[in-house]
Amino acid sequence: MSIIQQHTAASLSDAWRTIDIDALVEDSSVNFDTSTLHPPQPETSEAEVRQINGQVRQLLRGGDAEGALRGALETPVYNGPDAAKDAHLHTVIEVLQSIKASDMTPMLQRIYATPGGSECLDVLMKYLYKGMAATTTASGSGDSSAPRTPTSGVRGGMTPQQTGFSQVGARAGASSDSTGAAMSVLLSWHEKVVDVAGMGCIGRCMTDWRKV
Amino acid sequence: MAAPEVHHLFHNPIADHSFSADRKTLAIARDTAVELYSRVGNAFKLKDELKGHDKIVTSVDIAPHSGRIVSCSQDRNALVWEPSPTGYKPTLVLLRINRAATFVRWSPSETKFAVGSGDRVIAVCYFEEENDWWVSKHLKKPIRSTITTVAWHPNSVLLAAGSTDAHARVFSSFIKGVDARPDPGVWGERLPFNTVCGEYLNNSAGWVHSVSFSPSGDALAFAAHDSSITVVYPSGPDQPPKAIISINTQLLPFMSLIWNGEAEIIAAGYDCEAFRFKGGPDGWQLSGTLEAKGRPGLAGNREESALNMFKQMDLKGKVNKDDTQRNTIHQNTITMLRPYEASGGAVTKFSSTGVDGRIVIWNA
Repeated sequence: MSIIQQHTAASLSDAWRTIDIDALVEDSSVNFDTSTLHPPQPETSEAEVRQINGQVRQLLRGGDAEGALRGALETPVYNGPDAAKDAHLHTVIEVLQSIKASDMTPMLQRIYATPGGSECLDVLMKYLYKGMAATTTASGSGDSSAPRTPTSGVRGGMTPQQTGFSQVGARAGASSDSTGAAMSVLLSWHEKVVDVAGMGCIGRCMTDWRKV
Repeated sequence: MAAPEVHHLFHNPIADHSFSADRKTLAIARDTAVELYSRVGNAFKLKDELKGHDKIVTSVDIAPHSGRIVSCSQDRNALVWEPSPTGYKPTLVLLRINRAATFVRWSPSETKFAVGSGDRVIAVCYFEEENDWWVSKHLKKPIRSTITTVAWHPNSVLLAAGSTDAHARVFSSFIKGVDARPDPGVWGERLPFNTVCGEYLNNSAGWVHSVSFSPSGDALAFAAHDSSITVVYPSGPDQPPKAIISINTQLLPFMSLIWNGEAEIIAAGYDCEAFRFKGGPDGWQLSGTLEAKGRPGLAGNREESALNMFKQMDLKGKVNKDDTQRNTIHQNTITMLRPYEASGGAVTKFSSTGVDGRIVIWNA
C-alpha cells in the first residue's frame, strides 16, 4: 500500500482534525434521536401533577412526612411540560424543607430498606440536583423558570457542595436568605442521601436517561 | 483462605490479559504491543513482545487448545498470532471496520472469534481454507453505538454483546460450514446469522461494561455504568424472559464480571476491589467483598513510627496515615476479571488486572 505523499494546505494544517466525521455517517449517533434508544416514559400532564401534589401536601399536613416524601418520589415527572416538572420539584422541596434534620437519616434508611427504595433515593438525588440548579439560576438572573442545567460552567451539577453554597451566598444579594436557606436544605439532604445510598446513587443520576 | 497472589508488572494500565491453558504464559495488552510473560518460580518474567499494531491494543485473548493469540487495537485491525518454533507469526484479519476495535474473544470452539468495535458492528471472524485468510461477517442490526464487550455462549453460536447504547444483546453468529447446528435452547430454536435472541436494558440505562453467560448458558449477566448488575433468565424463543433481576448497588460501577457456578457472580470495577453477588432466578444480592481487610502485610505497613509521625507533622502540618495508598490490593480501577482455575463447574481462582499495572490471582 503506498502512502500518499501529496501535501496540500489543507493536509499540512491540522484543521482536518476538527471535521466532524460522524456527521457524514448516516447511522451515527449524531444523526438519530438518541431518545429512541430507550422506551418512552409515560407522559404526565400538569393536571395530574397538581392532583399528585395535592395528595402529597395533604399527607404532609396530616403529619405523615415520610408518606409524603415517598409519594412525591414514586411519581417523578420524567415526561411532561416544563411547568409540570417545576411544580413537582417545588412539591419535593417543600416536603424536604418540612422534615427535621434529625429525622432525615432514619427516614432515608427506612425508605432504602423497602423494596424499590433504592430507586426512590435515586429520584430524590435527581430532584436535589435539579433543585440546586434551579435555586442558583433563579437567584443569579432573577428568572423564576428553572432551566435544566446550571448556567455556571465552573459549577457543573456535580461539583462539591460547599462551592455551590458559597457562590450562592456571595452572588444572590437581596434574595440570599431564602435561596441560601433552600440550598442548605438541599445540601444537607444530599449528604444524607449519599450516606445511605452511596456513590452509586450519584453515578445513576449522571447516567440515567430519565431526567426529572 | 490463602492470600491472593500479587504481581506488579509495570506502571502502565493493562487493557486486557489472558492466560494460556497451562497458566505458564500470560499475555498482557500494554500500549501498542502484546507482552508475553512466562512464569518463572513465583514471578512473571517478560519473554516476548508481539509488535504489529500501531495504536493502543485494546484486547487480547489466547485460545486454550490451539495456543493462538488474537489481539485487536484502536488501529482498526485484529491480528492472529500463530505459535511456531521461531516465534509467533502474525496474520492480519480483514475486519472491514473504520473505527477502533474494542474487544476480542475466541469462541469456545476456537474456530471463530468476535471483535467488537466503535463502528457499531461486531465482526465475527473465521478462517476460510480456500483463501487461506481470516474473513469476517458483520453483526450490525440493531446496534446503535460502540460495542464495549462481547462474551460467548458455551455452544459457540450465541454471542452476547454490551454497548454504549445501554443495551446488552444476544445474537446468533451461526456460520455455515464452520459451526455445527446448535441444539434448540432457551434463547431460540432456529438461529440464522444475526438473529437477535434478546435485547435488554435496565431501568436507568447506563452503558454496558461487561456481559457474561452463566456456565450453563441459560442466563446472562451484565454490568452497567449505573453501578448495577442485571441478570436475565430467558424463558424461551419470542417470549418475555422469566426474570430480569437488577441490583443497584451503593458502589461505583463495575467494569467486569464473571460467573462462579450458576448462583454466584464476581464483579469488580472502579472500587478497585472484587465483590461477590449471590442469588438465583428468585433474586440476587450483594454478599460482600473478596478482599480480606486488615491483612497482616498491610497492617505492618500501617504501623507508624514516632519519627515518621513527627516528620509528617512537620511536612504537612498534620498526621495522615498513608493517604496516598488505598487499602485494597489494586491501587486503581480493575478493568478485567478472568477465570484462572476451575474445578467441577466452579471457579476456584480468578485473575484481575487494572489501570495500576498489577495482576492479581484471587481465591474465589
